[in-house]
Amino acid sequence: MTEKELIFDREKIVKGVAAALVRAGSTFSGDKMEQYKEAWHAENNQLSKWAMDEIIENAEVAEANHSPLCDDTGIPHVIIEIGKGRALTGDMIDAIYEGIRQGLNTLPGRPMAIRGDDLERISQSRGLEEASDAVVPAPFMLKYVEENNILRVNLLMQGGGPEIRAKTYRVFHRHDAQVVIDEIVSWAKEVVGQLGCSPCTIAVGIGRSHYEASSLMLQAMVEGQYDVQSEQEQYITKKVNESGVGALGLGGNTSVLGTFIKIGPQRASGVRIVCMRPCCCFEPRKGSIDL
Amino acid sequence: MGMSKTVSGTFKKNFVDMWRKIVFPVDDEKVSDLKIGEQILISGRIYCGRDAVLPRIVELYKKGRLDSEGINLKGSLIFHTAVSHAGVGPTSSNKKEIEDSISILSEAGVRMHLGKGALKIDTIRDLNKYGSVYAVIPPVTALLESRTKSKRIVAFPELGMEALYELEVDGYPAVIAAAKGESIYD
Repeated sequence: MTEKELIFDREKIVKGVAAALVRAGSTFSGDKMEQYKEAWHAENNQLSKWAMDEIIENAEVAEANHSPLCDDTGIPHVIIEIGKGRALTGDMIDAIYEGIRQGLNTLPGRPMAIRGDDLERISQSRGLEEASDAVVPAPFMLKYVEENNILRVNLLMQGGGPEIRAKTYRVFHRHDAQVVIDEIVSWAKEVVGQLGCSPCTIAVGIGRSHYEASSLMLQAMVEGQYDVQSEQEQYITKKVNESGVGALGLGGNTSVLGTFIKIGPQRASGVRIVCMRPCCCFEPRKGSIDL
Repeated sequence: MGMSKTVSGTFKKNFVDMWRKIVFPVDDEKVSDLKIGEQILISGRIYCGRDAVLPRIVELYKKGRLDSEGINLKGSLIFHTAVSHAGVGPTSSNKKEIEDSISILSEAGVRMHLGKGALKIDTIRDLNKYGSVYAVIPPVTALLESRTKSKRIVAFPELGMEALYELEVDGYPAVIAAAKGESIYD
C-alpha cells in the first residue's frame, strides 16, 4: 500500500456518514414511497388506508424537517462494501464512528444507551445515558465486492419492534426449496400481527450458520428493491398478505409491502439456517455513502 | 390538525372529520360506549410510560402511594411510549412488562391504554371488567410532534426516556382495538 492510499479526507467521511445516518432515519427511498402509494390505491379497508396515509404524510414531514420517522431511531448497523484497489484503515473506521456520533446528535437519535457493567446493562438497573451519541453501532460487517474502486459505507437503523419478532433458526428443507419458503411464510404470518407497525417488509437471509444467515438478512435490507421482486419474494408477500392483518393490524390486504431475500452458499446437509426479520412500516431505514 | 397533501387529502379530511374527540382525563361514561374499530382523536393531558416504569407504577398503586407521587390515574390514558427529543411513538403493548400492567392499572383507574400490537385474550377480558379500552396509534413520530403541546416528567426521572411523563396533546389519532371484550385482531 502506498502512502497516497493511506491519506484520506477525514472530514469528508465524518460529514458523509453523518448525513447518511440522518437520511436513513428521516427519508423513504423513492421505490418505497411508490410502493406505499400503489398499496394505498389497492387497499379497500378504510382504516388500513387511513393508516397508510398517515405513514406517507409522516414520511413527507420527516424528510422535509430532517427529523426522525419514528421515535425508535434504531441501532446503527454498518455494512462496508470494498473492492479491489481500495484500502480501509483504522483511521477511516474511526472517522466512520465519529460520523455516526454526529449523525445521532443531529437526527436526533433516541437516547437509549444503557449505563453500567455487563449485568447492569442487562437488567437496566443503572438507568440510561442522556446523550444520543452514547448509542454505539453494532460490529461492522465487511463485504468484498468485485467492482474496482468501490468503498461504500451502508447504514441501517434497526428498530426494536422487529428485533422482538425476528427469528434465526434451522429449517429441514427435505430437498425442496418450497419447504423453506413456506416456513418463512409461516414465521412471518405469526409475527406480523403482533408487531403492530405494519405494513412490514420481510427481510430474509438463508445461509450455513446463524451468523451468515443474519449477515445475509442485513444485506437483503441494503440491496432489496420494492420494484424488483423475484418470484419467491412475490410469493411470500402474497401469502402473508392473505392473513388480512393490514396496516397497523387494522385489517385489509396490505400486511406486507414487499420481501427481500438474500440466499448465500449452502451446506451439504438437510438443514438450512434462515434469518427472518419483519421490518416495520418505516424500514429498511438505510443510507449510504461512497468514499 | 394538519391535513394530508399526500395520497388523498380529501379522503383523509372527510375521514378524520367523522372521528370522535375525547379529552383526557375523562369520565367513565365517555369511554364506556366505545366500540372496536371506532376512530378517535385524543386531546388533553395523558401519561406516557413503557417497560421500565409501568411495573413501578403498579407497585405504587399496590402500596397506595400514587397520590403522594402526584399521580392521578382516575379517568387517565397511558400511552405506551418513550419520551425523548427524538419524539414519541407507540412501542409494542404486548411486551411482557407493559401488557402485565394493563389489568391492574385499569383497576387503578386508567380508562384507555394506547399503543400498538395485538393483546392476549385475558387482557382484553380484564379491560372489559374495569370498563377500560385499548387503542392503537400509528407510529407517526414526525406528525405527533406537531400535536404535542408540552412534556413534563412526573416520576422516576432516573429512567430517562422511560420515566413517567405527562404530555399535553391535541388531536392524536387512534383506533379502538379492544373494548367490551372484543378485539379488532380477532
